[in-house]
Parts: sequence; C-alpha cells; structure tokens
Amino acid sequence: MGVGVESPVDKDVDWKTVKSLRSRPVTATRAIMVLLLIAAALAFVIYKGISNAIQYFYTAQQAVAQKSQLGSKTFRLEGIVVPGSIRDTQSGVDFQVRFANTYVPVVEIGSPPQLFQPTIPVVLVGHFQGNYFWSNQIMIKHTANYVAAHPSRIKNAGGGS
Amino acid sequence: MKSGKFWVRLLAVVALLGVALTYWLGLFITPPDVIQGQLVRLLYIHPSVAWVAYLAYGVTSVGSILYLWKRTRSLKWDRLAAASAEVGVVFTALTLITGSIWGRPTWHVWWTWDARLTTTALLFLLYLGYLALRKVPAPRDKVAVRASVAGLVAFIDVPIVHQSVVWWKTLHQSATVFNASLSPKVHGEMAWTMLISFISFTLVYLWMTIKRYQIETDIDEFDNLEVEAAIAERLREVDELVNSKTSSGTREAIPRDGGSIS
Repeated sequence: MGVGVESPVDKDVDWKTVKSLRSRPVTATRAIMVLLLIAAALAFVIYKGISNAIQYFYTAQQAVAQKSQLGSKTFRLEGIVVPGSIRDTQSGVDFQVRFANTYVPVVEIGSPPQLFQPTIPVVLVGHFQGNYFWSNQIMIKHTANYVAAHPSRIKNAGGGS
Repeated sequence: MKSGKFWVRLLAVVALLGVALTYWLGLFITPPDVIQGQLVRLLYIHPSVAWVAYLAYGVTSVGSILYLWKRTRSLKWDRLAAASAEVGVVFTALTLITGSIWGRPTWHVWWTWDARLTTTALLFLLYLGYLALRKVPAPRDKVAVRASVAGLVAFIDVPIVHQSVVWWKTLHQSATVFNASLSPKVHGEMAWTMLISFISFTLVYLWMTIKRYQIETDIDEFDNLEVEAAIAERLREVDELVNSKTSSGTREAIPRDGGSIS
C-alpha cells in the first residue's frame, strides 16, 4: 500500500510506503501462482470425480446384467455378504454377495477388513473371470445407523430383570 | 466494548467445556457400536465438524450477498465472510482428516473417489481458492467484490456435497442426522453425545469466527490510521517546503494541497 504526494516542488521524493499489519505481503505473481496451483488441484479432483464417482459401483444385479459389456474390465461391485458362504482360502477368502435375487460368487485375493462379516454390505474392486468375480479389495459399506452393542448393560448390571 | 469481550471469553469457556464433555462422553461413557465397535467414537467428531464447515460457508455466503447488495454494502460483511471462510476451511480439513482416519479401519481404505469424498475435496479446494483470491493485491473494495462473487460460486458445492449420497452411489453412508425424515438412527446416549458435539463445535466455530473478525477489523483500522498518518506527514513536508521556498524569495505556483494525492 503506498501513499504519494505528487507536487511540482518535490517530484523526486519517493512514494511513502505504509506497512500493513497483515503478515507477509503477497505479490500478484505469487498469489496468481498459488491460484493456478489450486485450479490444477481442482481440475484433478474433478477429473477423478467424473471418472470414478458418477458410476462408483455396479450393484451385483447390474453387474450380472451387464456382464458381457463389462468383460474383464476392473470395476466396483456392491452386494451383501451372503451368510454361510464365507470360506477361508490360502490366498484370502471366498464368499458370495447378493443384491435383490442376484448372487455373485467372489474369490478374494488378500485379507478381508476387520468389519467383514455375514450380511454386511461390501463394495468389491475386481473383475469377472468366468462365473466368478475376482476381487483384490473389499471395502465395507457401513449404514447410517448406529446401534449400541450392549444397550441394556447398565440396567442389567445387578442381574435383575 | 468490555462487555463484548466478556461474552466472547464466556463463549470460549463454554465451547471448551462442551468439547471436553463431548470427549468424555464419547470416549468413556457411550457404548461401542454393534458393528463398528470402538470405531464409532469418531462419530462424535466427524459429522459435527462437517456440519460446522457447511455452517461456515453459509455465513460466508450471507456476508458476500450483504456486501454485494448496494443497500447493505459495508466492509464489515466482507470481513465476516472472510473470517467464516477461513474457519470453514479449517473445519473442512478436519472433516477430511477425521473421515480418512475412520475410513481406514471401517471401509478398509484411507480414501476413495466416491461422490461424497470427491465433492468434499472440491469444497476444500474451492474455499482455499477463495482465500488465495483474497491475497491477490488490489484495492480493498475490489478484493471484497471479487471475494464475494467467488464465495457465492463456491457455495454451490455445499448442497451438492450434502446430496451426493442421495444423487450418486457412494461408499459413504447416507446422512445420519440431516436425512430426508430428519430422524437420526442413533441409539440413546450415542445420540445425546452427538447432539452435544454438534453444539460444542458450533460454539467453537462462533468463537473462532468472532476472533478472526476482530483481528481483520483491527488490521483494517490500523491500515487506515497508517495511511492517514502518512498523508498528514507528507502534507507537513509540503508545508515546510513551501515555507522555506517562500522565505528564500522563490515565487512559484505551488498548490497549497501539494498536488494530487494518489
């Protein structure tokens, strides 16, 4: 910020510079460079959003219906882990997922997450190979409900009814 | 003025106590979740800080509108918008960080490009851009106009973030509190703790925004005083020069005000 007095008698006098309390005065070039950097980050996030978020996953039903189009392409598949279908293997775990009345057998390579269990909704990353969905990542899709594990633990602490 | 300071201090104390109470209830009193177990404890922070970010950007938008509207145009609205956006960016960063910490053990990933996470990252960058735009050197009123327009444009993303779990398929769960039926599906003491958390972090936001607003006001006032002092000093120099030239017999056409001041 500068304040100057242009006078016929003191033309050679320098402009007075007033110091602001604002920390680190920023030059226009520097500010624009920061803005460009943010714009690049925005472009990257938008690109990732368009290529991933719009069709984040196919439900098991949609995936089976579009199996021929999907081919061996890697995509995300959503379904609920079918109770009684989980079987540990040397390379990971085999199980089935269900969406509506469609069932998909899954071969998972790698260890499943800690919340993996029957009836939990999951999103799997992988591809079709024959009738199986070969997955290399299981993500747990948690619901918006939060339920206490032992809602009556205090009431029943004394063993009363 | 003194009473104002008292209320701000009281607000800080109440906010701090609220956050402490949230931590105590969240860590020691509330039960584990039937599926998530102990991981549920992050629920008492993550949704609240996300809510505060929305609120902060809402206030920034209101401040921006009031600045842009000629009948209410005043720099105080621009300062409010800036202060609130700054706090909002902090809370958006906290939202992303706490979400990531929760996501790793729950979802099994630190980050995924689903619509909720992507639009939240966009929100963070948009308001970071808003703050960066404010730093581009320009006259104070021009900065305010630019920033107000940018603040309003960036706000478009807020309802998109909120609705992203409805409009697109996401890994992120749907809204727990602000859902379509406005009926949070959270068990008793977990719900109470969550409510206390929302109130506490809102108070923290209020305190931070008020303090930031006060600092901005002080800086603007200081800058104005500095400019006035510089003008007065220069006028004194001109006066001295005029007097010395007059006394030494020089006769020149010298304007009393020393010419144009820019």
